[in-house]
Amino acid sequence: MVLTDRAAFDAHAARVRAEFESYTSDSEWTISVCVSEDSKAKGVLDTFEHLRFRIESGDIEARLRTTGGGGWAWADPSIIVSGPNHPAVLYGNVGSDDVPGLVAALASGHTYDAGLIGAFGESDTLPAVADHPYFKLQTRLLTQNWGMIDPYSIDDYIANDGYAAWIKALFDMTPEEVVDEVKASGVRGRGGAGFPAGIKWESGRRAQARPKFMACNSHEGEPNVYKDRRLIESDPHRILEGIMLGCYGVGAERGYNYVGGEHLLAVERFRHAVNEAYRLGLLGDNILGSGVNCHIRLLTGGGAYICGEGSALMYSVMGERGQPRTKPPRSVEEGLWRRPTVLNNTETLAPVPDIIRNGGAWYASLGTERSTGTKLVSMQGPLARLGVVEVEMGVSLKDILYETYGGMAEGKTLKGVQTGGVSAGPLLPDQLDVAVDFDSLQQYDCMLGSGGFVVFDDSVDAVEFGRYLMDFNRWESCSKCTPCRLGNKALVEVVDRILNGRGQERDMQLIESTAKHVMELSLCGLGQVAPAPLIGMMRCFPEDFEARIDAASEPIEAGEQQRFVIPLAAVGA
Amino acid sequence: MTRGMAHKSTVEQADLDRLQAHLEEHFQPRDHEEAQELILGALQHVQHEFGWVPLEASQAIADHLGVSVNRIYGLLTFYADFRTEPPGEHFMLLCHGAACFVGGSQKLIHELRDNYGIGQGGTTADGKLTVQIVNGCLGVCDLAPIVQFDHEKYVGNLDVDSFNAAIEEITANGSQREDHGAD
Repeated sequence: MVLTDRAAFDAHAARVRAEFESYTSDSEWTISVCVSEDSKAKGVLDTFEHLRFRIESGDIEARLRTTGGGGWAWADPSIIVSGPNHPAVLYGNVGSDDVPGLVAALASGHTYDAGLIGAFGESDTLPAVADHPYFKLQTRLLTQNWGMIDPYSIDDYIANDGYAAWIKALFDMTPEEVVDEVKASGVRGRGGAGFPAGIKWESGRRAQARPKFMACNSHEGEPNVYKDRRLIESDPHRILEGIMLGCYGVGAERGYNYVGGEHLLAVERFRHAVNEAYRLGLLGDNILGSGVNCHIRLLTGGGAYICGEGSALMYSVMGERGQPRTKPPRSVEEGLWRRPTVLNNTETLAPVPDIIRNGGAWYASLGTERSTGTKLVSMQGPLARLGVVEVEMGVSLKDILYETYGGMAEGKTLKGVQTGGVSAGPLLPDQLDVAVDFDSLQQYDCMLGSGGFVVFDDSVDAVEFGRYLMDFNRWESCSKCTPCRLGNKALVEVVDRILNGRGQERDMQLIESTAKHVMELSLCGLGQVAPAPLIGMMRCFPEDFEARIDAASEPIEAGEQQRFVIPLAAVGA
Repeated sequence: MTRGMAHKSTVEQADLDRLQAHLEEHFQPRDHEEAQELILGALQHVQHEFGWVPLEASQAIADHLGVSVNRIYGLLTFYADFRTEPPGEHFMLLCHGAACFVGGSQKLIHELRDNYGIGQGGTTADGKLTVQIVNGCLGVCDLAPIVQFDHEKYVGNLDVDSFNAAIEEITANGSQREDHGAD
């Protein structure tokens, strides 16, 4: 069915809204199984099959549907159940073994206490999800549909105000007004740089060359972030609508989304979303009779971290090796096919539908003055609870760690928190009372980056961790600039020397000076920060380095060079 | 393209004919710019079907999209996901993201080196297992350290013993793969 005008869209929206509301009505049982890449790894499909078997066997009369993941990885496999006298309830850790007990409890009108996390709606008897420590600090804006809607259903999205912003923009707003709202929202680039998106859009809008392009960076190749792929997996249409609004705002008729090739489910769901939007007539030529054209192309990466850098990403889209180039010209002047291209991170585009619907001022009221809105945080390591969480900018990192993530797992002692992905150093335990926003972390030479934090305990040696982070950047160097290509390799070798009991006092100095060369002489953002995590580890945990160096055996004898050849380097580990 | 050409180490004309038909149906650029945008996708399709990118397939893509095969090899050697040699019977992605590192994935990599004699991209001598160390993150961090076999089966919370057991279990069975990851 192709919608041909605004009235047809409104009628369709009313229809699917009624359908969606029936999922939480009290006339029928509905069981929603949250399927994401990580819940699949934890066997959610087994849970689904067991539920289906029970329903088909007549043990309970219920509708079974799948939704996207909720971000609560610690609770996966998870399901959301609603039914007669039973508000929507989140159950966690529902393995296939739990299914018989769960079904029996529901069929007899009870809750299944083993996995009960809380109720989403009002309830006199059940605890509220919002009171659970995992949810308490969260402001779920970008994640509002996670776990609630079926990512394969455009109708589920429309039923939750989806594409209302697209309709509003097409019929009630000029492109300039769209750009102005994004400017007013103050939303800053979530990829790490923190550049205001509205300013970028305005530059793109003003650029004279035609055609123009809009691009979304969903590459996410860092070793400690998994928020963008969850955004796409759980709510692909939100990202799509964000790109479409960007196209309209800057005057582009074509948008691109570049998704990391390893994010299989995200690629599959986004591709499906684009096809559905075309099918419904929300993408294409003369959309809903408005005269606006908009087309979306999906491209997938090939496992090169550097392609998350703006110019490298564009070369990759154009079928080239992803090697950054010098700037200027910036990509808003000359990007894809040497045309003005506005490139935003997935998370930057995600709130745009809400910004257009509710106004930029509303969004700016969230978060802090200089860092507006919410931020997705993915914290990893030996913690009590893991997952992606969404907090208002400005919430204390310590509170997130100890409340939302439940603190360290049993028996683990916190040693530090690596920040900024692979582009900055760690925080020490006594530095954690710092606000999560773009500016506060800088006082400790750390950065927010894309919101990935790695918590590590005292079983992790800072020298080895520093080597790991250093080696990641060495491996991912695109090899264009000599300082980055050779300097990072040399740094890994120096650390290996220390690790192999051959370190010397002067090695610390050697690392500092080599790092300075790499950072000052490299062209792109990768090289300019590549040694930063290692330097950060040296700054925060000098004792780990010194202990290795002090324990080192006698100076190297001639003819012993062979012992420096580290097989690990050969395997790229 | 129909299934069934999985993990072949040589390329047959029938495979190339099917590839050609697929290219003509699904990779129809409207201009040379779009043709270039389609190169990586076409290569990913080939790897998805063959498990690797044979020279003959690269040549077919080059001819179809009007670019040189040299350029295609430039891409294959730049992007870490591509393989230009046939993989073993089973395929393992070993996550080496930060969470897995903190959980001990480095020990698993050492084990691969010491016990199986393989590193990044390597295939065991018996041809049973190919490993790709993921420098990014599989995003399943609460099961760290984790591996993924044959693009579907995850085994997590690994230590060296359970890692070896998982490899033994997967390599004991013949390959049941139908495809090869990203398309």
